[in-house]
Amino acid sequence: MSASIAHTSHLADTSPEVHGDHGHGHGKKGLMHYLWNTDHKVIAMQFLFTSIIYLVLGGLMAEAMRWQLAWPGHPIPFIGHLFPSTIVSDDGALIPGGYNMLVTMHGTLLVFFVAMPVLIGVFGNFLIPLKIGAGDMAFPAINELSYWLFSVSGLVMLASFFVPGGAPGTGWTAYAPLSSVGAYNGTPMGQTLWCISLFMNGLGSLTGAVNYITTVITMRAPGMTMFRMPLPVWAIFVTAILLIFAIPVLSAAAALIVFDLNFGTSFYRPSGGGQPILWQHLFWFFGHPEVYILVLPAMGFVSEILAVFSRKPVFGYKAMVYAMSIIGLLGFVVWGHHMYVSGMNLTLSALFSVSTMVIAVPSAIKTFNWMGTMWRGSIHYTVPMAFAVAFVSMFVIGGLSGIFMASTPVDLFVHHTYFIVAHFHYVIFGAIVFSTFAALYFWFPKMSGRMFNNTLGWIHFWMSLVFFNLTFFPMHNLGLAGMMRRISDPTVYDCLRQVQPLNVVCTIGAMGLGLSTIPFLINMFWSIWKGPKAPANPWSSTTLEWTLDYPIQHGNFPVTPTVYHGPYEYSVPGLEKDFLPQNEKAPSHITLEAH
Amino acid sequence: MPWSPFSRICSRIFAGLFFILLAVPALAEQRAGNIYGLPPCLTTAGERVDLIFWIIFSLTATVFVLVQGTYIVYLIKYRYRPGVKAHYSHGNNTLEVIWTTLPTLIFLALAIYSNRIWDEIHRPPPENALTIDVSSYQFGWQMRYPGVSGKLSPCDVKKISAQNPFGTDPSDPRTAQDVISPELVIPVGRPVHVLLHSRDVIHAFYVPEFRLYQDCVPGRTIGWVWFQATRTGDFQLACNQLCGTGHFNMKAPIHIVTEGDFQKWLSTRQQKNAAPLPSSISKQ
Repeated sequence: MSASIAHTSHLADTSPEVHGDHGHGHGKKGLMHYLWNTDHKVIAMQFLFTSIIYLVLGGLMAEAMRWQLAWPGHPIPFIGHLFPSTIVSDDGALIPGGYNMLVTMHGTLLVFFVAMPVLIGVFGNFLIPLKIGAGDMAFPAINELSYWLFSVSGLVMLASFFVPGGAPGTGWTAYAPLSSVGAYNGTPMGQTLWCISLFMNGLGSLTGAVNYITTVITMRAPGMTMFRMPLPVWAIFVTAILLIFAIPVLSAAAALIVFDLNFGTSFYRPSGGGQPILWQHLFWFFGHPEVYILVLPAMGFVSEILAVFSRKPVFGYKAMVYAMSIIGLLGFVVWGHHMYVSGMNLTLSALFSVSTMVIAVPSAIKTFNWMGTMWRGSIHYTVPMAFAVAFVSMFVIGGLSGIFMASTPVDLFVHHTYFIVAHFHYVIFGAIVFSTFAALYFWFPKMSGRMFNNTLGWIHFWMSLVFFNLTFFPMHNLGLAGMMRRISDPTVYDCLRQVQPLNVVCTIGAMGLGLSTIPFLINMFWSIWKGPKAPANPWSSTTLEWTLDYPIQHGNFPVTPTVYHGPYEYSVPGLEKDFLPQNEKAPSHITLEAH
Repeated sequence: MPWSPFSRICSRIFAGLFFILLAVPALAEQRAGNIYGLPPCLTTAGERVDLIFWIIFSLTATVFVLVQGTYIVYLIKYRYRPGVKAHYSHGNNTLEVIWTTLPTLIFLALAIYSNRIWDEIHRPPPENALTIDVSSYQFGWQMRYPGVSGKLSPCDVKKISAQNPFGTDPSDPRTAQDVISPELVIPVGRPVHVLLHSRDVIHAFYVPEFRLYQDCVPGRTIGWVWFQATRTGDFQLACNQLCGTGHFNMKAPIHIVTEGDFQKWLSTRQQKNAAPLPSSISKQ
């Protein structure tokens, strides 16, 4: 085993691509350096800056929707006139069709153009080679291709706003036959562009996934066995495998919509012999693993950050790895829990509810292990640690509210209400986005060579935590009061008029949440240029990326490191400093505990 | 680790703000009256749903308090102190086994109990049930009641078209007797069996007070939904599946009335049947 690792990493070091590109990219830092570059660290930055643009766009859409829900029919201040006429009326108020378009584009942008590229594109690219001691990705050019597929697919998605009819208004789930028949949705061109964009985006994800898997399997440094890999690498590795199985299903399903819309086929149209529920099965066969595609990397980052700032080894490292693998496996047999009440066979619903309850177990295991990691630790309060702790806390809320929907009879009541909107925003924003913030602050010194501003970081943290909960917690109550999701005006229903004050509360929270990104963006962009220079290892961390000084050259490690033990050796008894880097041998009088 | 006095003060201010702002939704809820709990429950099946809802609620609320409480205790108790080193431990396999087994048992028990109630709710409708054809379209609802024969005329989803919105057989004598209504009027205390149809895209039959959601799928008859109202009142039927630009306003009135009032309404409605739409009934 060790011989083969040495062999492959030797290959990686002398492979013509790495050295060729090293010479090629060196010395010139023109525009081309940032537009076409095969260095995994630069590609990670490309993903990051592109996704921030989509984050701002998707966020503004959410603000517009929240305004409409709190004060239906009132013109939206400041941003109302930025929207095209298919979305707002002349005075800048949302129209119902436009609201549906924003629902669709907010969901699509945030899932496919913010969460996925940031978690996988940014951190997958940046961390995998640095953490396993490799010079670059296995296929550097394909890696850059993956970025450009993602980037161009985003432009195709945004172009749908400007075609006749406007953007699709069928929700990010695009249920057929609404999405597949032009006469029903009124936006056949926008819907076609949506499908094409997701198809391209999917190709980008697939090429990225192939790259990650190959890199992890073949390019680990000598001594870096699978069970010595840091948990973020494990998480992205499992995620990449999920992508390989899930994405093609979505791509195929989206292609069928393009055929139905434009070429007269009837895959989803019952009058031509098609099956509307077929789309839901295909979409959720992708869509549920997608949730884990997003949450697994988030869990990986948080596991590491909690250990670093508790100055303790990750509690139950192997249990964490097994839990992630089981989540990945079970993730493919729970898609039916989105469809209990879709007209699917009732016994099938019962079966899916059992698998759904079972998949909650590995998540519970991980939560207990995070608690174990902090237990008897020496907890340092830093901005990344604060976001990591908030992740766990919000993930617990999102996980617990999921149990309601997992129970088939309760789903009869809360299905498609704001209860589920609250649930998945706790998972996707409260957990995944908070974990992303934790990771950004944590690796910012390694990415930029500078420290972020601590005060702005804390302001960002507290504003996010407060306003996030203010926005999304009352949505549980709205859902239980019967508020349907994806309606542009709750006051048309008698039973919802009395809960309208809660909608106002949510909107005030959403405005604060929007404002909370301002200290974040100021902090990031100011610190990149003006922040104090960061030491190589500001957090006294053990993994390989912290052994490198900024700027990290193309090819990363001047000498291929050798790894002697697992990734989280903190507070080892008998050792003077409280951490033992992976490339340092433990002194002979110290025995490390097996993990 | 960098940690200036100023950021410490900032954190305290924001921590205070956090709790103040959490109080805002609580205040808003009190102002608006009865929105703390669930809306009134009107059906026998809904009571079963509420039962398991409250079981899960008590369970999750307990876990919530325990887990979040432990976190807060840990954050305070195990905070960094100069000279105190963290405990070196890679984990504990006994603990792993315990916290794998225990949740598995709880979750399986929940799944089994849930599905017993699920089966109970979906047992076949009783013999004396009133059958109503509920037909959804972009963007509205139409109900079809059995006429004097007491039996709905049969329908076939393949025959649904603009001319024949219910897909009925014009040659069947019962078809002419069917009562068409834009409102869902149901007798209290009698089981009501609804046949859910859609003429175009997927809609959803959703009544929060019934604790009931079911998609209406074009090209199919969803025939397993039935309920029994426990008291009279006026409510609204909502479409809860995004179905196009008019989705937000796709609703229909529901009137739960006594059996006598229902029969009266049905016969009045039958006489008006020559002009099926739109006409509204007087409140019973």
